Amino acid sequence: MTQTPIRLTVNGAIHEVAAAAETPLLYVLRNDLALNGPKYGCGLGECGTCTVLIDGAPARSCVIPVSGCAGRDIVTLEGLGTRDKPDVVQQAFIDEQAAQCGYCLNGMIMTTKALLAINPRPTEQEALAALRYNLCRCGTHVEILRAVMRASGQLTEAAD
Amino acid sequence: MASPVSNGAERQSGSLVVVRSVDEVTSETFVRITADGSVTAYNGHVDLGTGIRTALGQIVAEELDVSFARVVIVLGDTALVPNQGATIASETIQITAVPLRKAAAQARQFLIARAAERLELPEVDLRIEDGLVRGHDNRSVSYGELIGGEEIRLELADDVAVKPVGDYAIVGQSVPRVDLPAKATGELTFVHDIRVPGMLHGRVVRPPYAGVDAGPFVGTSLLAVDESSVRDIPGLVAVVRIGDFVGIVAEREENAIRAAEQLKVSWKPTPALNDLSDVETALRANPSTPRTLIDKGDVDAAISGAAKPMQRTYVWPYQMHASIGPSCAVADFADGNIRVWSGTQNPHVLRSDLALLIERPESEIEVIRLEAAGCYGRNCADDVTADALLLSRAVGHPVRVQLTREQEHAWEPKGTAQLIDVNGGLDANGGIAAYDLATRYPSNAAPTLALLLTGRIASEPAVLQMGDRTAIPPYDYDHMRVVAHDMPPIVRASWFRGVSALPNTFAHESYIDEAATEAGVDPIQYRLRYLRDQRAVDLVNAVAERAGWTPRPVREEKYGDIVHGRGFAYALYVHSKFPGYGAAWSAWVADVAVNKTTGDVSVTRVVAGQDSGLMINPDGVRHQIHGNVIQSTSRALREEVSFERGAVAAREWGAYPIIPFPDVPKIDVLMLPRADQPPLGVGESASVPSAAAIANAIFDATGVRFREPPFTPERILRGLHGAAPATPQALPARAKPSSHIWENPFAKRAGIVATIAAVCTAAIGIGAALLPGRAIAPIARPDASVYSAATIARGQQLAAFGNCAECHTTRNGALYAGGRALETPFGTIYATNITPDVETGIGAWSYPAFERAMRDGLHRDGRQLYPAFPYTHFSKTNDADMQALYAYLMTQPAVHATAPANTLAFPFNLRQLLAGWNALFHQTKEFKPDPAKSEAWNRGAYLVESLGHCSGCHSPRNALGAEQGNAYLAGGFAEGWEAPPLTSLSHAPIPWSEDELFAYLRTGHSRYHGVAAGPMAPVVRDLKALPDQDIRAMAVYLNSFNDAATDAVALAAKLESATQVTTGSSTGARLYQGACAVCHEVGGLPLFGSRPSLALNSNLHSATSDNLIQVILHGIAAPVSSDLGYMPAFRNSMSDAQIEELVTFLRKQFAPDKPAWTGVRETIARVRTSTH
Repeated sequence: MTQTPIRLTVNGAIHEVAAAAETPLLYVLRNDLALNGPKYGCGLGECGTCTVLIDGAPARSCVIPVSGCAGRDIVTLEGLGTRDKPDVVQQAFIDEQAAQCGYCLNGMIMTTKALLAINPRPTEQEALAALRYNLCRCGTHVEILRAVMRASGQLTEAAD
Repeated sequence: MASPVSNGAERQSGSLVVVRSVDEVTSETFVRITADGSVTAYNGHVDLGTGIRTALGQIVAEELDVSFARVVIVLGDTALVPNQGATIASETIQITAVPLRKAAAQARQFLIARAAERLELPEVDLRIEDGLVRGHDNRSVSYGELIGGEEIRLELADDVAVKPVGDYAIVGQSVPRVDLPAKATGELTFVHDIRVPGMLHGRVVRPPYAGVDAGPFVGTSLLAVDESSVRDIPGLVAVVRIGDFVGIVAEREENAIRAAEQLKVSWKPTPALNDLSDVETALRANPSTPRTLIDKGDVDAAISGAAKPMQRTYVWPYQMHASIGPSCAVADFADGNIRVWSGTQNPHVLRSDLALLIERPESEIEVIRLEAAGCYGRNCADDVTADALLLSRAVGHPVRVQLTREQEHAWEPKGTAQLIDVNGGLDANGGIAAYDLATRYPSNAAPTLALLLTGRIASEPAVLQMGDRTAIPPYDYDHMRVVAHDMPPIVRASWFRGVSALPNTFAHESYIDEAATEAGVDPIQYRLRYLRDQRAVDLVNAVAERAGWTPRPVREEKYGDIVHGRGFAYALYVHSKFPGYGAAWSAWVADVAVNKTTGDVSVTRVVAGQDSGLMINPDGVRHQIHGNVIQSTSRALREEVSFERGAVAAREWGAYPIIPFPDVPKIDVLMLPRADQPPLGVGESASVPSAAAIANAIFDATGVRFREPPFTPERILRGLHGAAPATPQALPARAKPSSHIWENPFAKRAGIVATIAAVCTAAIGIGAALLPGRAIAPIARPDASVYSAATIARGQQLAAFGNCAECHTTRNGALYAGGRALETPFGTIYATNITPDVETGIGAWSYPAFERAMRDGLHRDGRQLYPAFPYTHFSKTNDADMQALYAYLMTQPAVHATAPANTLAFPFNLRQLLAGWNALFHQTKEFKPDPAKSEAWNRGAYLVESLGHCSGCHSPRNALGAEQGNAYLAGGFAEGWEAPPLTSLSHAPIPWSEDELFAYLRTGHSRYHGVAAGPMAPVVRDLKALPDQDIRAMAVYLNSFNDAATDAVALAAKLESATQVTTGSSTGARLYQGACAVCHEVGGLPLFGSRPSLALNSNLHSATSDNLIQVILHGIAAPVSSDLGYMPAFRNSMSDAQIEELVTFLRKQFAPDKPAWTGVRETIARVRTSTH
């Protein structure tokens, strides 16, 4: 347990955090940087609620020690946009009312963001596969899928 | 609607409130309008993620004639809102909103009357637009102006006239949810996100009787808490124990987590719990009291006279609410002002529990309700609030407690198992002769856990009367009896969406379907014979039409591997205290596809029809129906809590899988327009017909009735093929092509005579025959300045390459200061201090002493060193490298540290015997290149054989712990890990190649083999010191022991496509899908880190399961580099039995040509207790 400060780039800003090296990134983001977007869901990388982007790739921040993130570029839900200026994916989720309790929403949006970065116009099957390991208990899957399609500019209004 | 605030209601200069007086001093406020025109409305229910905040805002705005944007809804803060009980049974709109609507209407009537007076116009001539009352002469006055500086207080009247539906402008329109923009941007404060000044972090440690809350052992099982076990945790504030309640408080959350994991707690053995492997038997054995709900006609006579008796039993499994976010709360225990921030669904009930728990009056406690993860009933939200309060009281600071996933899974009050027996049959006309239903529902309200664990309340379970929800079928049978057998819970259980109505309806709707089949009547037509409720009839017809239902008096046989079927079910969800009242009417047509080979059922489409009366927010209703269809489909197909020895075993999503995106059915929602009828609870109703509709569809597809969800592949196969499931057999083990057993080209060749002599020497222990070396005189520690920087740098590289630090440094200890325990088959050896400390290290060692140790295994003082120190390899180091290494070590900081004494068993504690060992197995000889081989090969051989000492782990050892020269690099064991064969004996499905060896040694990752883990990870990390050409040379050398290259790309593609996991057909498969596939599935969305392919992974194909079990239990916390990503440890999340299922599945799935591993359970037990 070394306590050398770890330098992180989060949402474009540089932070020095004095957490133990093995501390999962999630706790540093939430407790040290007050970023509430990523949520604790399972601590095992199974459910996806803690998803952030690390160097552009979706990452399950509950199982990645903060020391492994030194010098990397981290983006959280807050880094995409705000209520006043939401990102296109956030706006699509709002437009499609794609949340009930909203606890899994962070993971859904961040994973969608990552998907669209490598596949800007996914088919429904591709979107379903990409979100396969993001769990939602409220059953908002229909609206979430529509949000992905909307965010990628291919929503067919007739579909429901 | 304005943004929600939970602690609003600041007092403006004047205001109008509508209140209900509770007693002489207290009253409850429903609506407050302030002089600035803002409107706050208060409701005792909370938004569980269903959108009621938005719908209530619509209702208030409508009745008040203000814009939706002007209304703030306050929910669930006990200091502010009326006590309206728990948010259950979809009652908010149907029941709880009624006084709110009246209060708004009353306020409007008061204000318009006042406006009429003020404007001197008759009320009928006034119009209101967003709180501005306007006369026909265009004069106007606002609500705020009408209130002015006055404090107006209206007592809520019962007989308030509300608006006629025809006048509605806001209610009945789809309005976007007010909470979503904040949720989508991370700006909404969930209870998990609350931070108050001075807040500390708590975790709890739960007892071993996981998920059981009744019995004399509850609250009385704790033996001891060893606080010294967490003494090293930084910022630890307190360890708290009260009865069986154990908690820990630390300044930082990650330290609280570590402390809770590390805390040594001893518990009494839990007495034998109820065996829940057979739920039906357990429920029948549970004591119960019968309660007759209806007894109509002459049931017994009708049954005995039935033309075709039909006796059926339906079994519902234990299920979880399975909130996505484990419960969390913050408590601040301050004298006389106790506040808790909670995600509770019943703030007022919780406040009573907390008052009881800490023996303080309710008036001192405020429960502030914040949004949490959806709960669908009673989860651990109240438990964690009580936990936080106990910890805050103990430390005198605000404390936040976050339950772990494992705790939420294990301890949430389960949706109970249920057993429903139906006796009856058909009369001569094919009608239902009689219907005699008995239902068993072992559930209560699940007392808040801390009350039980601390012993504040007795662990005698209460018996509630909740098994009666929708227990009376919606059909008008002439002879009908329904009996609820009220019973206490068997495991901790409480209401879960649909409560007992969902299982009861599963029985009603399965039975009538069976009866229709027997009668040869279309199942919908058959139901309509018995439905008297016109709204039900209308809904059933509308859904049948929407789905394009083709009447089918007789089931048509389906052919092929994949068979399709369609099923119907209907329910009016009757809830609340018996006889209760109905929520929405709901009907499903479900389409399924059943794979008769795999047993896989997919629900391909659901037409869900609903009559919810007036819909406040139609889009909200539609989304709730979607959610309920998906969740209940998940429950019907896959959800069942597993138990081990009566305690909850499922502690993560692999053991309790919920439906993933690709398996979600297409949903067609049909909402009947009933604006003229009162609004009803909408969400839950849509769940109620689910399981029956799906079971009826499976029957249509297969001709087999399934009366016990979940309809997992195993159940379907058992149903289709009888007791012996037609599981595909594992492929026969493929004979391994014959391979070389390689000899070490550099090993000592001892003749037979010499061997015998040496063995005798060793065995008899005539140490005197081969005296250990003489002592070499100590020297003063050499001056660092005598070595060039280049030499030191070279030495540093070599020390890294030789992994010196790996053994000679303890975890978090000073570099090279020794002390690390090395477990050997002969006992424990502690690595020595090799810093240049004169007394305890090697500071007084001359170069000859150092060289002799490295080459001959002798201490400076002449005693033998144990060959755990690989001098058999180091002896091959050339002089230049040896000198550089010496220079480097002698210039390191000296650390005064003495390693503990070795604990070796006799006779291995006799160092003299090592002389014999050396005579047998060691030769002091520098490396000699083989002129017949390439320069790279020889360079590689030197590196591998000398400081690299690869065969130290990768060659098997004989009984005396020496490497077997005739099985060179044929695989060995080190530190609890298998060091796999590096030659053509490799078990890897794709043989190693020079390029893959290079990639693996350079990066710690090979696409065709996996990532370096365990003791190999630091080895590869240390190899970073070597330049590429040295790594390449090692690859060239090692690859010379392999067979010719194969087409790895083609073979990998073949292996991966042949081993894809398509169905969750076993516990092991589901564990893989829930826990492993996210990172290991081939072709998934790229994630941070590597994505090791299990079909190609050497560990899956090895002869032993050790390495696989090592990584599953302990994870990969320190990979070669962070680029490779990390693997979590599953030791605290999965039981031995689950890991055995998983490991067995992985082997069969990804190494189908290899025989099943034996002794997996023992390996798990061994690895679980190992330190690596």
